[in-house]
Amino acid sequence: MPPSKARRSGGDRALGLLARGSAVTILGLLVALLATLVTAGAPAAARFGASFLTETEWRPNTLERPRLDARGEVVITGGEVEIEEVPPRFGALPAIWGTAVSSGIALLIAVPLSLGAALFVVRIAPRLRVAGPLSFMIEFLAAIPSIAYGFWGLAVLTPWLQTVAYPAMERLAGGTWVAGWVFRTRLADGTEIPVGLTGKDMLCGGLVLAIMVIPIVTAVARDVLRSVPRGQLEGTLALGATWWQSSWGMMRYARAGLFGAVMLGLARAAGETMAVTMVIGNNMQVAASPLAPAQTMASLLANEFKEASDQLHQSALLLVALILLVMSLALNVTARSLVVGGSSRTAAAH
Amino acid sequence: MAAKRAWAVIVALLAVALGVGVSAGWFGGAARSDGGARAEVGVASGGTGAAGGARGTGAAGAESAADVRLSGVGASFPAPLYNRWVVEFERVRPDIRVNYAGTGSGAGVRAIADGTVAFAASDAPLSRKQLEDLGGASAVLQVPMTAGGVVPAYNVPGLSAPLNFTGPVIADMFMGRITKWNDPRIAALNPGVALPNLTVTPAYRSDGSGTTFVFTSYLAGVSEAFRSTVGAGLAVRFPVGQGGRGNPGVAQIVQQVAGALGYIELNYAVENKIAYGAVQSRDGAMVLPTPGSIASAAESAADAMRDSLTVNLWDRPGAGVYPISAFSYIVVYRDLRSVGSLEGARSLVTFLRWAVREGQGLAEQLHYAPLSQAVQDRVTEALGQLTYKGASLAAQ
Repeated sequence: MPPSKARRSGGDRALGLLARGSAVTILGLLVALLATLVTAGAPAAARFGASFLTETEWRPNTLERPRLDARGEVVITGGEVEIEEVPPRFGALPAIWGTAVSSGIALLIAVPLSLGAALFVVRIAPRLRVAGPLSFMIEFLAAIPSIAYGFWGLAVLTPWLQTVAYPAMERLAGGTWVAGWVFRTRLADGTEIPVGLTGKDMLCGGLVLAIMVIPIVTAVARDVLRSVPRGQLEGTLALGATWWQSSWGMMRYARAGLFGAVMLGLARAAGETMAVTMVIGNNMQVAASPLAPAQTMASLLANEFKEASDQLHQSALLLVALILLVMSLALNVTARSLVVGGSSRTAAAH
Repeated sequence: MAAKRAWAVIVALLAVALGVGVSAGWFGGAARSDGGARAEVGVASGGTGAAGGARGTGAAGAESAADVRLSGVGASFPAPLYNRWVVEFERVRPDIRVNYAGTGSGAGVRAIADGTVAFAASDAPLSRKQLEDLGGASAVLQVPMTAGGVVPAYNVPGLSAPLNFTGPVIADMFMGRITKWNDPRIAALNPGVALPNLTVTPAYRSDGSGTTFVFTSYLAGVSEAFRSTVGAGLAVRFPVGQGGRGNPGVAQIVQQVAGALGYIELNYAVENKIAYGAVQSRDGAMVLPTPGSIASAAESAADAMRDSLTVNLWDRPGAGVYPISAFSYIVVYRDLRSVGSLEGARSLVTFLRWAVREGQGLAEQLHYAPLSQAVQDRVTEALGQLTYKGASLAAQ
């Protein structure tokens, strides 16, 4: 029985208001978040300027050290060494570097696997009647809370890297340039020291991130590949393309959307917090070796925010949060526009 | 059809809104009205609830008949001891309910500045900045409640006895200047011990912590290089090694990584059966951290407490003094008006007096060092000077 006209228009109006209210609320939240972070990060931004992004020293405490004169000699007044206080200094480069490299490692591993899996789901699985269960499994993996991946990394991956993988690598690479790169690291004063090989490092962080982004990249890539028009695929086959050639054509056709899928994976990797904090080693350094402990922007916040009592320290952390937010927004917007743009183009071609 | 769907969406949105409201009320509104009700009951029975102290403890003691509720937040290191005190104190004074959450020293100081708790706890004496936030040194009292030791905990396979360390050697290990466990400088301190050719992996706190403050303050005092490159503080930047969150995070690294050297609280190392070493005291002897050797450090500080109750315990002279020791403090306003009621203020003083005297008996079995008689006297005297809205609370 159709509802009365008055009731329907009442319902419509109510829903319209609610929907508008919700949309405005969500936008308002984002604006409020940005405004808060900008205000809170302002003192650190004003103090350090662009050097916040390029400086590698992140030191929340004040140092006391002997004052040196222009010739680099200790200043002595009245028989006593003059002590100068070096105020805290915040350079976020190690965290930015950590985020970039760990996400890079993750994508390097996840992208080929995900694209392969997506292609399998779209082109082969239906023939084998496993597309349904497989899709379900992929979505299931995407829904596992990140802390579970972190525990797995801590309990399984870390000991394995430490006791099996790294000793094997040491045997294989011993004496070559690779050994000098991955098993040695430099202190700020240039001294070369061995890397601790604890299994909690940049590589472990990257591996855990890879496993976390695979389901997302696979799921989006699958949808993108599915939206490639049948005509396109049948056309290539009709022209005598091999299975591989037609698949390649399919991926070329959907490349904008696939790129968007990768960007979404990158956004997730860059923003991931707890799992990474558990396995990356939490050391604010820029080290060339992937086996050295590192820190990402998200793990830095997770580690230090709660007990940051100094105002400048808090401000610096919130500035890092702002950088992370803006970066994630940019990545997500790019990714969405590529995925949606890709689909609408394929829809138009259909 | 469309209208039906629209209504379904509206109902769903309303349900979400209702859910949010209920959950917000659960933590905020409901708790507040609950507190109000309790205050009324309190008035009827002749006392008043410590409303200020009760906030933030949520529904924890909703069924309790306690007349006065006090809550404290702060350092995680003394939390096992404070929580034990809370339980024991309730047997003595069932009418006073104390609540302690060991969420971190920084959080504690922020909470007392915001007026949400009756007392805070901090492992490090308050910084100048923190004191300013609380209204200056004349407005705040920091009283030592117990002493603890930070121990060098390590994972070196195949050792039968605790290793010996000196401050400068530990400092160099944490600066990446000593990179192997069989380094001649470690070997010289441990004659006859077969040290393995293992890489040293320092393990430190990745979160700000009083433990880090005590450890780095000691190292900065004994190593010039450490003082001018790493320095002391609640959070510092170690050039090498791995960060773990909290004592469990550092302990986890030490247990998992062969060659790791971390710093954790004595009670945590003992409870989790993690190996730790002896550290050379100022007098030159190798001293193992025990409640006794930490208590000796606290004992030696009594004289220095004439001017201020906040005294550094690291690297104290004297026989059998463990050098990486420190007091853990409770922070209260000198005038307890923020507690919210005279009854609440009296109860807080009663609890603190009890903890400083009777409570000390519980310290040793939990691996904390009890305060010496002299220190107890100084603290009790200071507690006697607390006021409520200008009136003395001493004569009870």
